[in-house]
Amino acid sequence: MQIARVWDAIVIGGGHNGLVCAAYLARAGRKVLVLERRPILGGAAVTEEIFPGFKFSVFSYVVSLLRPEIIRDLDLPGHGLHIVPLESTFNPLPDGDYLATWADSEETRRELYRHSPRDADAMQEFGRLMQRMAMAVKPLLATEPPDPASLHPRELLAMGRIGKHFRDLGERDLHALVKLMTMSSADYLREWFESEALVAAKSASGIIGTFLGPRSPGTAYVLLHHYMGEIDGVFRAWGFARGGTGAVSESIASAARGFGAEIRTDAAVASVIVKGGRAAGVALESGEELRARTVISGLDPRRTFLELVEPADLPSDLVAAVERFRFRGSSGKVNLALSELPDFSALPGAGPHLKGAIAIAPSVDYLERAYDDAKYGDFSRRPFMDIVIPSMIDPTMAPPGKHVMSIFVQYAPYARTGGWDDRSREAFGDAVVDTLAEYAPNIRSAILHRQVITPADIEAVTGLSEGNIFQGELALSQLFFLRPAPQWADHRTPVGGYYQCGSGTHPGGGIMGASGHLAAKAILADGGR
Amino acid sequence: MRYDAIVLGSGPEELVGAASLAGGGRRVLVLEAGPEIGGAAAAEELLPGFRVDPVHADAGFLDPRVLRDLELDRYGLALLAPDPVLAALAEEGGALTFWRDPARTRVAIADRSARDAGRWEAFAERMEAFARILEEVAGRPAPRPAGPLRELAPFLGLGRRVRALGRSDMTELFRVLPLPAYDLLEDTFEDALLKGALGALSVRGLFQGPRAQGTALALLHHLVGSPTGCFGTRTVVRGGVGGLIEALDGAARARGVELRVDSKVERIEIERGRAVSLRLADGSGVAAHAILSGMGAARTLLDLAGPTWLDPDFVHALRQIRCRGGFARIHLALSEAPRFKGLAEPAAGTIVLAPSLDYVERAFDNAKHGEASERPVLEARIPSLADTTLAPAGRHVMSVDARFVPVDGRDSSAGFAGATAGDALADRAVALIAERAPNLPGAILGRKVLLPADMETRYGLDGGDPYQGELALDQLLFMRPVPGWSNYRTPIQGLYLCGNGTHPAGAITGASGRLAAGAVLADLEGHG
Repeated sequence: MQIARVWDAIVIGGGHNGLVCAAYLARAGRKVLVLERRPILGGAAVTEEIFPGFKFSVFSYVVSLLRPEIIRDLDLPGHGLHIVPLESTFNPLPDGDYLATWADSEETRRELYRHSPRDADAMQEFGRLMQRMAMAVKPLLATEPPDPASLHPRELLAMGRIGKHFRDLGERDLHALVKLMTMSSADYLREWFESEALVAAKSASGIIGTFLGPRSPGTAYVLLHHYMGEIDGVFRAWGFARGGTGAVSESIASAARGFGAEIRTDAAVASVIVKGGRAAGVALESGEELRARTVISGLDPRRTFLELVEPADLPSDLVAAVERFRFRGSSGKVNLALSELPDFSALPGAGPHLKGAIAIAPSVDYLERAYDDAKYGDFSRRPFMDIVIPSMIDPTMAPPGKHVMSIFVQYAPYARTGGWDDRSREAFGDAVVDTLAEYAPNIRSAILHRQVITPADIEAVTGLSEGNIFQGELALSQLFFLRPAPQWADHRTPVGGYYQCGSGTHPGGGIMGASGHLAAKAILADGGR
Repeated sequence: MRYDAIVLGSGPEELVGAASLAGGGRRVLVLEAGPEIGGAAAAEELLPGFRVDPVHADAGFLDPRVLRDLELDRYGLALLAPDPVLAALAEEGGALTFWRDPARTRVAIADRSARDAGRWEAFAERMEAFARILEEVAGRPAPRPAGPLRELAPFLGLGRRVRALGRSDMTELFRVLPLPAYDLLEDTFEDALLKGALGALSVRGLFQGPRAQGTALALLHHLVGSPTGCFGTRTVVRGGVGGLIEALDGAARARGVELRVDSKVERIEIERGRAVSLRLADGSGVAAHAILSGMGAARTLLDLAGPTWLDPDFVHALRQIRCRGGFARIHLALSEAPRFKGLAEPAAGTIVLAPSLDYVERAFDNAKHGEASERPVLEARIPSLADTTLAPAGRHVMSVDARFVPVDGRDSSAGFAGATAGDALADRAVALIAERAPNLPGAILGRKVLLPADMETRYGLDGGDPYQGELALDQLLFMRPVPGWSNYRTPIQGLYLCGNGTHPAGAITGASGRLAAGAVLADLEGHG
């Protein structure tokens, strides 16, 4: 067994949060090593050539939440990050019509007007309100949650500051925020809009990554969470990274290396070495041991607390809290290599709608029925789908004239009755293609290759427990000072020198990088040597 | 002549409000549209000699301050304590019974799961500690976080109460408040029947299944004022809710309150933004310094006062109040008590038929898609077992709530109304109980079914919701009945709200009437 040189900090997991954390630590002059189990970096934010000539953002497929200060601080554009906005949304409907939104707001208004003049008017005010709400919540994304059970003046002060922040919003906005934090996305949107297609299309962002239906309270918050994204200052802009989502990870890795961080792939960590209640380094699966004064886990809370360290070394209430932390992966992915573009009956031809996001979410009832299937242990026979065709924006993703299609699918429950095997995986893929073919009949014949990813596959490949894309549900009982566990929501752990930086920590979820950034701040505040 | 205050409606909260106002030395008139004091809470005769409470399940959680201040025992109020409190009917026959003595409940649970029995008392105690916090919240006006700073003072006291729970229970409280009951119960217990029964209680007052966030809070909500572990049965009054009305009627009259029935109010007259008088259906008018309405925020402000004086945002908020009762009430007059297979004791408290959490969730699935539940969740009571005043000797009354029934046209492709639909649902409910109590169908002397639409038209309960507003997280505390208007006042001076649609809600408590009267008295004094 060889004893390697001593690092200031070792980051376990080369996902985007681990890389962000490493980059900030390296920027502050720390000697940092990132260890990634897979041969490629990025965790769930990777681009891979699954079929020759066809590149896929295999798991995570759109970018929006990545914090602007991180992009600035790490100069990610200088490291090759180029985000192209997705300018339209297109929802084909079963009656042959469709609902779309376009880059040109006047065009969008005309389109909404066609469905409901009232909704077209309401949309303006709704957009302004959601922007204010996102602004109201954003300061919390960059703040460590205080511990409400502590009497420490620092914590009380922090609580007071948060209280004041919300009071300062004023009565009207505060009440709107309470509604968003507690209501279902369908109920909330119905307060604003009357068109079923519009309510369904919008409420779909409230169910992404959750094991909830659009009528379940709590989904309005997830809706808001998805509104917090901005690209170049434009709110609610979803983008596609040139080169796929892996390019996001690569640019952060490049920035980290630029600050002097070292990154090793094919380096699976077996455990964190704890000596005298303090982290002392990590042991790799290869048997190699690496020393460091600080160890940061970018993995999810279950792995961070129950697998990398001995639960016996932790307080029992933390172990209990992590054991009941809910993952319940609910989404899958189908990646298609296509010989030609899909031809939607509702809007035939290769129009601009194929450059944006395409969703199969025709009604709230449809989404609820998809959820019902999953509640009782099976994938949705007619699922919700969020589709992008990256090759329409970045032609390098597919051979000339051909295309790649990324389909995010819900619901596919991790705990499927009877489990997941090759047969159920393909049956799930068939349900997706069959449903899509109802709207774009040429899709079947256009498929050259098909990759179907179940939550069990997400877990096996990326290590995300139960395949949950957010490293744990974004439910009220798992947010802020409860994420991932009471008293340990500040990216620290009971083991000295051991930190957590994955999206299973505050503020969680999506390619945001905020967890990695906050963890780096906590480490540096503690001295971090 | 001008009254100091006129109270619209004569339900429990309105009567408490009226008596409290009169107790404060004010001249008070109560106007009831129907022929009897009590409104929807008045007892009805199903058949001669068979008395039922049309829409209320029990007398809720009577605020001890109300009982004390109004000396209700002097006016005939007698509290009963049926035991067992809850019987959860098992599919295989028999039942899991919950008793006033938690140790006895533990023994009952042990028959089904030793692990759950071991966890029961700690769970019941923790839930009770949480319910005590909610009780604290229920007894005072809901502080408005964006309101004047002085309103925040009670927060500090409450904060101390919460801290007194200790770190572990305190953080658990924060976790549980927004949690789905499904998760709370799955985290704690393994026995499907135990989880199903508590899951059924967690959706009372909600149009949701137990997987919805906020249902754990609803479960706690219905525990406020109950002894440890007494899920499902709260205050039971001799004579039913009707008996409570009689006592309140007595207390109000003794304080000089004037009560008039058959007095339908057509319009609240407003002058320069101030409510000044009422116009009745018979054309007469009556003036008052203050008007306190228990008719629901939307009915009072939109139908009686009219939107002219209201800000459009406020009108919008009134229209968004979600009232989704989601259940049918089936009243039965019986020649004999149902005999449940495998159940030695008569089921004196609440009887629940919900064998598993999935059963409850599936029952909701039907309603969410616009159909009545194929296999409804049933919550039944046979109050005459403990209270012989409700039925002729040897005979009984039974009331069954069948969940779920779709309410809101917006939420379903098909509406749900009409005698046929109600009868079909009642037949299914009776058949489900008859599987466990075969003598039931033959014992039925009379039957009456109330669908949400009936509760709306007959008792003025929008959406058939006896709580006048779903007990959802966004419709509680300072969000109830309208965000920012939780202090019983309205944008129209001199017009006040009380009743279940206002804080604290969720049951008959008397607290809303008492607190609203406090607001009226404070303002009247301000005016001299």
